Amino acid sequence: MSDLIRRDPRKEWIARNRLHPQHQDVLAEQGGGTKAFEWMGPNGVMRKNPHAVGFIGPNGVRRIDRSGAQQAAQTPGRSAETKDTRQRITIDQPAFMVAVVPDMAGGRLSSHDRDLLGLARQLADADPSQPGAVLAVVFGEHKETAFGEAGADRLLHLEGERFSGYLPELKVATLQGIEREVAPRFWLLPDSTLGGGELGRRLAARLGERPAAQVWQVENASASPTGWRCTARGAAGRDDIIRALPRVVLALAECADPVSETRHAAEPISLSQGLPDVLGRIEDLGEVAVDPASVSLAEAEFILSAGNGVKEWEGYHHAAEVLGATKGASRVAVDDGYMPRDRQVGATGTWVSARVYVAVGISGAIQHLQGIQSCEKVVAVNLDEGCDMVKRADLAVIGDASAVLAALVKRVEQYRAEQQENRNAA
Amino acid sequence: MLDTLLPILLFSALLLAAIGAVRRVRLWRQGRPSSVPVIKGLMQVPRRYLVDLHHVVERDKYISHTHVATAGGFVLAALLAIVVHGFGLQSAILGWVLLAATTSMFIGSLLVAKRRSPPPSRLSKGPWMRLPKSLMAFSLGMFAVTLPTAGILPEGVFQSGLGWIAALVLAAVIVWGLGEMFFGMTWGGPMKHAFAGALHLAFHRRPERFSDGTGGEHRSTGLKALKLDDDNAKLGVEKPADFTWNQLLGFDACVQCGRCEAMCPAFAAGQPLNPKKLIQDMVVGMAGGSDAKYYGSPYPGKPVGEHEGHPHGPIVARQGTSLVDPETLWSCTTCRACVEECPMMIEHVDAIVDMRRFLTLEHGNTPNKGAEVLDNLIATDNPGGFDPDSRLHWAADLNLPLMADKQEADVLLWLGDGVFDMRNQRTLRAFISVLRAANVDFAVLGNEERDSGDVARRLGDEATFQTLARRNIQTLSRYRFARIVTCDPHSFHVLKNEYGELGTAQTPADYHVQHHSTYISELVSANKLTFKAWKGGSVTYHDPCYLGRYNGEYEAPRDVLKALGIEIKEMARSGYRSRCCGGGGGAPITDIPGKQRIPDMRMEDVRETGADLVAVGCPQCTAMLEGVVEPRAGIKDIAELVADALIIETPADQSPQRQQAPAAPRPALEVAS
Amino acid sequence: MPHNATSSTPGGLNVAVLVSIGRHPLTARTRRADQDARAVEMALTLDGASVSLIHAGQQEREHEEALRGYLGMGIDTVNLIQQCPQADVVPALADALRQGAPQLVLSGARAETNEASGVLPYLLAEALGWPIITNLAAVEKVEQGMATVLQALPRGKRRRLRIRLPAIATVDSSAPAARQSAFGPARRGALEHLDAASDIDEALAAWQVQPARKRPKRLKIVKSSSARDRFKAAAAKADGGGGQTLTDVTPEQGAEAIFKLLKEEGVLR
Repeated sequence: MSDLIRRDPRKEWIARNRLHPQHQDVLAEQGGGTKAFEWMGPNGVMRKNPHAVGFIGPNGVRRIDRSGAQQAAQTPGRSAETKDTRQRITIDQPAFMVAVVPDMAGGRLSSHDRDLLGLARQLADADPSQPGAVLAVVFGEHKETAFGEAGADRLLHLEGERFSGYLPELKVATLQGIEREVAPRFWLLPDSTLGGGELGRRLAARLGERPAAQVWQVENASASPTGWRCTARGAAGRDDIIRALPRVVLALAECADPVSETRHAAEPISLSQGLPDVLGRIEDLGEVAVDPASVSLAEAEFILSAGNGVKEWEGYHHAAEVLGATKGASRVAVDDGYMPRDRQVGATGTWVSARVYVAVGISGAIQHLQGIQSCEKVVAVNLDEGCDMVKRADLAVIGDASAVLAALVKRVEQYRAEQQENRNAA
Repeated sequence: MLDTLLPILLFSALLLAAIGAVRRVRLWRQGRPSSVPVIKGLMQVPRRYLVDLHHVVERDKYISHTHVATAGGFVLAALLAIVVHGFGLQSAILGWVLLAATTSMFIGSLLVAKRRSPPPSRLSKGPWMRLPKSLMAFSLGMFAVTLPTAGILPEGVFQSGLGWIAALVLAAVIVWGLGEMFFGMTWGGPMKHAFAGALHLAFHRRPERFSDGTGGEHRSTGLKALKLDDDNAKLGVEKPADFTWNQLLGFDACVQCGRCEAMCPAFAAGQPLNPKKLIQDMVVGMAGGSDAKYYGSPYPGKPVGEHEGHPHGPIVARQGTSLVDPETLWSCTTCRACVEECPMMIEHVDAIVDMRRFLTLEHGNTPNKGAEVLDNLIATDNPGGFDPDSRLHWAADLNLPLMADKQEADVLLWLGDGVFDMRNQRTLRAFISVLRAANVDFAVLGNEERDSGDVARRLGDEATFQTLARRNIQTLSRYRFARIVTCDPHSFHVLKNEYGELGTAQTPADYHVQHHSTYISELVSANKLTFKAWKGGSVTYHDPCYLGRYNGEYEAPRDVLKALGIEIKEMARSGYRSRCCGGGGGAPITDIPGKQRIPDMRMEDVRETGADLVAVGCPQCTAMLEGVVEPRAGIKDIAELVADALIIETPADQSPQRQQAPAAPRPALEVAS
Repeated sequence: MPHNATSSTPGGLNVAVLVSIGRHPLTARTRRADQDARAVEMALTLDGASVSLIHAGQQEREHEEALRGYLGMGIDTVNLIQQCPQADVVPALADALRQGAPQLVLSGARAETNEASGVLPYLLAEALGWPIITNLAAVEKVEQGMATVLQALPRGKRRRLRIRLPAIATVDSSAPAARQSAFGPARRGALEHLDAASDIDEALAAWQVQPARKRPKRLKIVKSSSARDRFKAAAAKADGGGGQTLTDVTPEQGAEAIFKLLKEEGVLR
């Protein structure tokens, strides 16, 4: 469909002229819907017919919702197709390289990775006269297609069987090879457990560079030998250490904004020398199945917590497994012997800080509510609309716990199946 | 024949008893030394027995009368038998008295027998079932052989044909009686309680518990401090011989009457604790052997006969079983109901805390959340691990006067760790509004306050308790105040009864400490508060253990409720027999599972009264009782009830800025009225 | 969950644990460091292992209290390598480990004081030429110079690794919690002082250390051409406050709403 606005002066005239016999029809046609309340004016400006919009309020007065929620659902998707306005940038002759080794959790760039690439862009683009290039080093298989959008100029993809599994020694030897060949000005790695955090420290130790870990801010500083200054968390988060930016940087999430205005080439490169052979002293014997219920409550990010209102415990346990949630419980459920004591949430149990806390059949004693103070989102499933948990909840579903859980399990299973199909299709 | 046989029997029984006594004393003396005034103690036995102990026994009228008849009869009969039959003093008068004594003893033994048919569950069976018969044997035997002495039967009646047979039968009966009463007294039969009990009264480790004729309260409930200055000393009690000798003696005095068992909340809740069995286990450990010969109720869920101990073997094994399982020790809520009930004045709670001290300080084995709570106390001065600088965050809008600013106040308000608990903050707010309504000059320590150390001490962490206490004493020594008032009976008890021992010459720690109910009661008597009429439903009152049994304050809270116009519907177990809420002694932290929960049982007590509301005076009780699933009675602290009923004369009174101003007009008003 | 651990090494496994001075996150009081204590715990649960604790630092009253926290776990001695406050402890520790020749070195992932970059174990591994693994959750068995261990992955998953000894392993909060430190053994245990030359860490002087500043929260940046969308995004925080209550819905509708929230929050995997 063309984006050009085609005008019909006659129809516009009819639409303005309320006395015209075809007025209603033209309005309806221009509004695109059955009820004409909005149409494109002569200058491309939207016009509204206030008599046609709104709804009759509780006191019989017509009300117009100006938040746009009403219209949003009805306006035809005219603006849905936005043009990609991002500037395409190619750096052919970089003055230097900034290497980023993203975690690629789940085979895709995580938001942490994107922040790192954003930081790398800052470092690379600081001097427009001498632009640097951002090199993304990716190990193993991945599903990511948007390295360019995320800010990588070059992409070094180390493929093959050799790179699947836990191979920190091989990886660090490979990075060492890149160091020899490319000699990046900076190495940026996400300071995540079991990913960049580990690899970066190995790399730093191997290169003999003193890294800056837990970096959360990088600023220009002419006084510094590297031209940059960073702020890193120290002493388990109690201190900030401000120092010159070293060559190896382990940065925290949100250390910089991800790239959004520009698109980059992500031009694949390869190493001229072969990969080193490493005598592996660490052998990966594969993942071990572990009961998800064993995740400690205090660390869990998604908790499905059960209380007095849960009558079907089988269903609850099944739901927790399907959702992949850590199990929690109210004091009463523990006292009644349905759940072990270490699962108790609340002031007298464990203080939790989950991202999502789903309270099933928990009315919300004050001790319990204290224990979930630092949870981000609370979902309540309860029969009693007036209970304190419902008041606290960001989303409350009033209904029978077992029925809602069963429906939720069904919905999630359906979603999983869909995802599986998509994956298979892709 | 009897004339020659009786003295032989009597004196050999006495000799054997003496040997047994020496042996028993040696068992006790395995314990650690503890200095007691020997002569003074012995001199006080009659008074302690007839006044203090009788006071406890008297709570059960039936057994009290039984004991007077039996024991009185026996003591008299035994003395006279030695004189009359042992030394052969043929006095008809003495004979008659002896007859009367044995008759009294016989009647007593009938009453004992009646109580044991069938025996209630709290009583021990086994040898104890034989006791009434033994008592009868002694009394009947003595009665019969004394008949000729008193002149009722002719002299020499036991020397003729049939008499010989009668004499033989009598001799056998008397051997049985003497065996139980003299030999058994020191060799470990049921009568052991008489011997050990009398000495226990003489050498009790808390002589303060006995009246001295000058009147006043005789209460000694504070735990005794553990000396921590010797680096190499073992801390707490690991094995029976680590108790002091008079503690061991105390255990030996147990009559297995099971009154403690009947009162113990943990036992009732099916947690693996029975105070009677615990004391008996200590006796088993002291003598060495297994608990197979125990015939009372076991620890719930733990069969008898699987545990054994030795005076120098561990009471609690690191792995496997030994004399006592750790769950038993950690089930105790330190409510002191057992100690309050014990007619032998045995100190169960002291013993339990002594053993807990070893488990915590030497093994590092405080169960469940115990270790975490203690770590928090060490690192943050409160059991929840909250930022100690956020102690006053809840009161940001109250503008509380700080001691650090004022230096001096009439009342130092001790807030306690309830400041971190949203429920308790309501109570504190209520109490502060009461103080303001009464124009009390008060101040709080704010962030300078630390946990009182109560929980640490009951969990056995004496080191952390002493650190916290010393620091609190230091802080308190910087300010001048007439009294400390607190809404927390646990802090109240510790500040009042347990800090004193840790004070020094420069920083004495003898404070005038009051529970808020006592203080409100004083304010009410001084007409500082006026109330609206009570319009709520019926109310019952739950006595907190640390206020009632520990400190004897039963009346003030009731007076306050009365002043509010509330008529209290008392629970069956109230006052000194109040049932614990389950929140004391770190029990919610160690959290030993049972069949039911203690607070549920307590709310059942409440339900029986039909009251709509329970008035409480302790943050622990509030939390525990509110944890009971609805429907249940409402729970309100006394301070909340008082605050709700307050009539504040001028609205200006409430604003903290004008706090001092209205103090002046008030006397004028009083004069006018 | 503790799958613990048996060693069939004859003569027992020689384990060294590197311990540091911890600091409580709220009150900054010194204590045994949490992760290091977990490392000690792991060493103590290894069957038949002889455990030695090494600390490089200063001899100070406050530090001694913290080190006694480890002794209270049932350890007899902590070897204290004396270093001056600005020292780089890597050379001293590497020397000590070379001399002690343990088969397994355990430590926390990161210290609770000073730089706390978590690089020290890697530097030691590099200096000694030993392999290093992170996030140790359990040691399953040790035999013939190889250790089979479990590594903790996020969300409670585990990976089994076999590693050649001698090796260094770091534990973090996924390892079993440390046992209680008992007061009695803590004060009876000994601190054995070892003297060693201090290498001054010169880089420290150039750094500026200040109390941590609160990090600014990133705003949701919405690149949208529509003013309404941008406005909605900016005001999004406001409508999070009031909860949404669904009454009279079928279980399916309710489940759908919950499902949507779970998906938005990204907790469904």
